[in-house]
Amino acid sequence: MSRAAPSLQVRLLGLMFGVIAALWAATLALTLSDTRHELDELFDAHLAQAASLLLVQDADADGDVAAPEAPILHRYAPRVAFQVWRDGHVVLRSANAPALPFGPVARRDGFAFVDAAGARWRVFAAYDTARRRQVYVGERLDARGEILGAVLRGVSWPLALALPVLGLATWWTVRRGLAPLRRLGRALAARRPDALDPVALDDMSAEMLPLAASLNGLLGRIAALLANERRFTADAAHELRTPVAAIRMQAQVARAATDDATRAHALDGLLAGCDRAARLIDQLLTLARVESAQAPEMAGVELGGVTRGVMAELAPAALAKAQRLELDAQGTYVVRGNALLLAVLVRNLVDNSVRYAPPGAAIGVRLHREGDAVVLDVEDGGPGVADADLARLGERFYRVAGSGAAGSGLGWSIVRRIAAVHGARVAVRRSERLGGLAVAVTFG
Amino acid sequence: MHILLAEDDPLLGDGLRAGLRQLGFQVDWVQSGDAAERELRAQDYAAAVLDLGLPRRDGMDVLAAVRAAGLAVPVLVLTARDAVPDRIRGLDAGADDYVVKPVDLHELAARLRALVRRAHGQPSDRLRAGDVELDPAARTVRKDGMTVTLSTREFDLLHALMLNTNRVLTREQLEQHLYSWGQEVESNAIEVHVHNLRRKLGSALIQTIRGVGYVLRDPAAP
Repeated sequence: MSRAAPSLQVRLLGLMFGVIAALWAATLALTLSDTRHELDELFDAHLAQAASLLLVQDADADGDVAAPEAPILHRYAPRVAFQVWRDGHVVLRSANAPALPFGPVARRDGFAFVDAAGARWRVFAAYDTARRRQVYVGERLDARGEILGAVLRGVSWPLALALPVLGLATWWTVRRGLAPLRRLGRALAARRPDALDPVALDDMSAEMLPLAASLNGLLGRIAALLANERRFTADAAHELRTPVAAIRMQAQVARAATDDATRAHALDGLLAGCDRAARLIDQLLTLARVESAQAPEMAGVELGGVTRGVMAELAPAALAKAQRLELDAQGTYVVRGNALLLAVLVRNLVDNSVRYAPPGAAIGVRLHREGDAVVLDVEDGGPGVADADLARLGERFYRVAGSGAAGSGLGWSIVRRIAAVHGARVAVRRSERLGGLAVAVTFG
Repeated sequence: MHILLAEDDPLLGDGLRAGLRQLGFQVDWVQSGDAAERELRAQDYAAAVLDLGLPRRDGMDVLAAVRAAGLAVPVLVLTARDAVPDRIRGLDAGADDYVVKPVDLHELAARLRALVRRAHGQPSDRLRAGDVELDPAARTVRKDGMTVTLSTREFDLLHALMLNTNRVLTREQLEQHLYSWGQEVESNAIEVHVHNLRRKLGSALIQTIRGVGYVLRDPAAP
């Protein structure tokens, strides 16, 4: 069981939503990292600046002050703490600064992360060698996180708002973009089931043109096929009804006949009609079998033997018409094919000549090679076929006008069909040697 | 009744010709569309049976050509094409009847008689002139209710004259009604048959128009 593929619209929407979401996330991530970096730089600069201010300030003038605490002046100020140490003693510190030093109390410079007073700090250390002062300015990292969050919140609101708007716009665009496809679908659905006229190609998008053109090609082929089938039905009706009509008519004549000659003539006609109907039925069945045989079993077949067998079978009919039947096949001619079908092909060709060639005519069958190909030639001294009719031979039920013998034209269809199954070419022309019809079947 | 049969199938054509002859028709048989049109233009047939699938010239073409030439001969189309559109096309092209194969011989004959009768404006199957009544289907003639025995030729001659009441038919026209191809026409055959008819049915029935032909006068007809 096959699962239906998701609709084109769903597919397009999914892809576009995915891409937009990824871009959106990437933008957010980039903004986050960029903002954090800039903020860190800014805050670090402030720490460094504060440290340098503390280093140069002259508050205690080298006098030891027992840890005076600086007041907190801003709501962000509790996040920032400083300590000034001298010779292992705290000289000055902010109210929120931990009592323990942020680091070693001497000769430290630069930034570091420190865990102190139950929090993580970003600390800038500066040391004044001349005054033996160690200054630490620290900032709680969670404070930085909060500020970063506040900044990002400000940035992400518009981005978050843009997301559904973008989604809606995408949906609308995709829908509108696919409208021609839906129009085509609706137009096709609205057609009558038997409507086989081509789909209009005007104002069709370039991407859809090949599809629609292929569809039109397909419709055209189906229409031709249907027309062919309809013609076949009409022709078959004619071919099947005519012998029945003839049989019925001859039977009525025989029943009402008052003299023996008329009755005998009518009864002969009756039998001839039955023979013809039987042959027609045989041919129809053969054609049906050949047409349904898409891939018959193929093997190496010696065409000479097949032809000899078929001709032996048909010889009595030819002898009855005093026709000269000849086979010219030197050596062996192996072709890849189905022996039964090949026999049917040869039988139809030779039988056709026997039927249509007049009494006393010559019928020549020849097997020879043209390069690698094996060629079967069937020629006769019959009336031949006019050039205009040559092309139509092989259409089912096409009969050459004025040909005296009763035929249905099905034989030709059978020959063409079997040749097609074997990949063989059939060529029909006037026989230069015998004056009648010459058929060449080229294998390979 | 002299009819043209256009049928390309040898067996069916042969059967139709033999069967229709048994039923008293004179039948000329052609096997191609060309010949059918040529004969319809050349001769005055009482009716034509036309197969549509004729070689060289399709029956429908023949029909259209014949009608275009102004010929009113009743045409019965006999065909295997039974689809309704085909029937409509046939009737529109000027066919008077459309029969699908296979057909019963007697039905075909009855339809032909009906076509001929209608073509001559006769409302009923039986033809009447004075006290003479002719039944084309049974091929019987009565005078005053008594059956009169006529030969085939005499019957056909009377039939032709009664179909054309009050119209003069020339000797050639009468010969065409009586004889199909290949049948020897004796030089004074018509005179002999007319003589016999007058003897059997009364001398007043058929009048001779000297140098022209014969006419059957029916005082009851307009």
